[in-house]
Amino acid sequence: MAYRWDETKALELVRASVSRELPTNTPIPGDEEDLVKAGLIDSMGWVAILSALEDTARLTNFAAVWPEDRPQSIRALVETLRGAGRRDAEETEEHGESPSPESADAAVAFTGWGFALGSLRVSAEEVDRECGLATHTLRDAAGIESVCRAAGTEDELTLAGSAAEAALNMAGVAPDAVDFVVATSATFLAFPSLSASLHSRLLLPESCGAIDVGGACVGLVHALAIAKGLLHGSQRGVSLVVASEVHSRRLCSSSVPGAFRGLFGDGACAFVLTRRESGSANSFMALGDFVWGCSGSLALSLRLSLADTGGFDVKFRGEQLAAAAVSAIDRILSRLENLSGRTRSEVACFALHEPNPRIIGILAERAGISLSRIPFISRTCGNLGSATCGVSLCTALTRVLTNPGSERPLIFVAAVGPGLLWGGTYLQPASSTVRQESRRENTEGDSADGAAGRS
Amino acid sequence: MGQGYCVIGLECLGLDRFRSVRPMPPFGYAWRDPFPHKRGDCIRFTSARGTISAPHVEDQHCLGLESTGRSLKETELVDALTKAEVALDVDGLFGCEPRASTRGGKAVWVMPAGACRSICGCVLHNIWFRIFAEPNNFSLRARLSVGRNERLESVPVVDRDWRQFLARLIERKGGLPHLDEAEHLLNHAIRRKLLSSSQRFVRIGLPRPGGDGQCWLMLDSLFPQPSESWLELL
Repeated sequence: MAYRWDETKALELVRASVSRELPTNTPIPGDEEDLVKAGLIDSMGWVAILSALEDTARLTNFAAVWPEDRPQSIRALVETLRGAGRRDAEETEEHGESPSPESADAAVAFTGWGFALGSLRVSAEEVDRECGLATHTLRDAAGIESVCRAAGTEDELTLAGSAAEAALNMAGVAPDAVDFVVATSATFLAFPSLSASLHSRLLLPESCGAIDVGGACVGLVHALAIAKGLLHGSQRGVSLVVASEVHSRRLCSSSVPGAFRGLFGDGACAFVLTRRESGSANSFMALGDFVWGCSGSLALSLRLSLADTGGFDVKFRGEQLAAAAVSAIDRILSRLENLSGRTRSEVACFALHEPNPRIIGILAERAGISLSRIPFISRTCGNLGSATCGVSLCTALTRVLTNPGSERPLIFVAAVGPGLLWGGTYLQPASSTVRQESRRENTEGDSADGAAGRS
Repeated sequence: MGQGYCVIGLECLGLDRFRSVRPMPPFGYAWRDPFPHKRGDCIRFTSARGTISAPHVEDQHCLGLESTGRSLKETELVDALTKAEVALDVDGLFGCEPRASTRGGKAVWVMPAGACRSICGCVLHNIWFRIFAEPNNFSLRARLSVGRNERLESVPVVDRDWRQFLARLIERKGGLPHLDEAEHLLNHAIRRKLLSSSQRFVRIGLPRPGGDGQCWLMLDSLFPQPSESWLELL
């Protein structure tokens, strides 16, 4: 947020910045004195002063031009600072792209997205062999044709970095504009955490927060909810949400059942979420509210713990897990219908966590969903954990963007994970989202669906 | 950095083994115009006596540089540089921990006595440029992600070829009043070219200690080197 500097405050700030760069015990020079010509500071010191003023005043591109005849003095810095503050404030007012946190009409828009898959493609038959399964087990029983695997040079960080770069590039957002990054990964088990590592890799500014959230396969839905909540109080109104998983290294132990580890692939997805005025001229897909749940009684269907070797110990009951996943996702879809006020028949695309294609096929039949509206990421990539519904959401957003068939395209996002956790949300054009939220506020308490919550 | 050419090269110590050497002119630290050599040229010289002080242990006094007529391509040069002094992390660059500025800036420095050398290579993961305006000139700084995903903030870029490339870019964009446009291009189209290269490598150097007795880290060489064809893309 830009600030209009008055003379006194600007002078105070500039003098403080200059004094830090002066040699020890050097008195503050006169306001008109040229700091460089007088030999008080050198080029390093001058840049440090400009950087410090930019950081403290929260200006972008401060002092991008310094005319030849303008002295490098305290007075000139004060005038430049005041001018830059005025210009930034006017630009913010003109564009209205980042409404104040208190703005009632602020929506959270998807302005960029991208994904990165492990660059090795392994056929289902090869995976069968590796996992000691009978030939065609993976293809016939799970519907998986191939899985994506990280190459030796790839890991959670490189995949997340590639996905994030693509999303930032699409959104036209520079690293300095990001308020916080929210990351999720079940397989990145190190400190600095994934969000902090990604913060370094992407060269995000020090003022940008780095937050990690859990949830395994539901992690992306958790991350989106956290980002949405934080955006309302953020300075620049821009967040980056990332999910990244490299299962091939965590599940490679022979103690992990082959029928389980064979399902998984490696990949990452990223989204740039931006706080926007709902009435702004450009249409955009906005993030709706969330539904959550947890069925402890089904927790035993999948349990993972860290083994001494650094890999996972896995206990899973395949059939029970599959049935539970189908029920949970179907329940999420029903709740999203209530929450959005629109039926599943209106949904353009379903971005779902896909334990495997076969389970999603069963779900589609039971839930009355056309298969063509599900991206089926797991068929060729395998189960990507938290990134599955994210890669699916990237595909869904691109479909909506490139095939504007509907005036009010709708996307449902749903995921289930160990616990048994579930979570979901929806996306639709901003005006629809805000209208729907207003309607629900008016009828709050009338709904019989107590589990439907808001972020 | 003063005017002139600070030359640093590689001496072959055997199969796939190199070390950095800095041939010094008879007077001062930098070679003056006319300087007929360019990056990648193979030269020979005879060492002369002279005083060497830490951390510039690569210094070798000499009377002149003689061309051998050979020149390395950029891929060959980077390959050789990766077989010379290379650090896996920031602490390994100069054998000591860089310190943050106590004055509020983001550049980092080392104490001359604590550093074991004055030049070292490192793998580059990411870079973001910043151009600062000066009267009739500009300063180029870079924020880097290197080694084990560590950051170096606000490192002065003194790579001659990159600075000349940027000067041409600024000129094309209409001169110094358009530094912000040049910076945008540098951080988007050109940075994408740079990061898409498989030969991302930096050489970080230390200047002679300043009046404050500190050696501030600087970006001596950035690979890949900029190509004239990148300007045509703009």
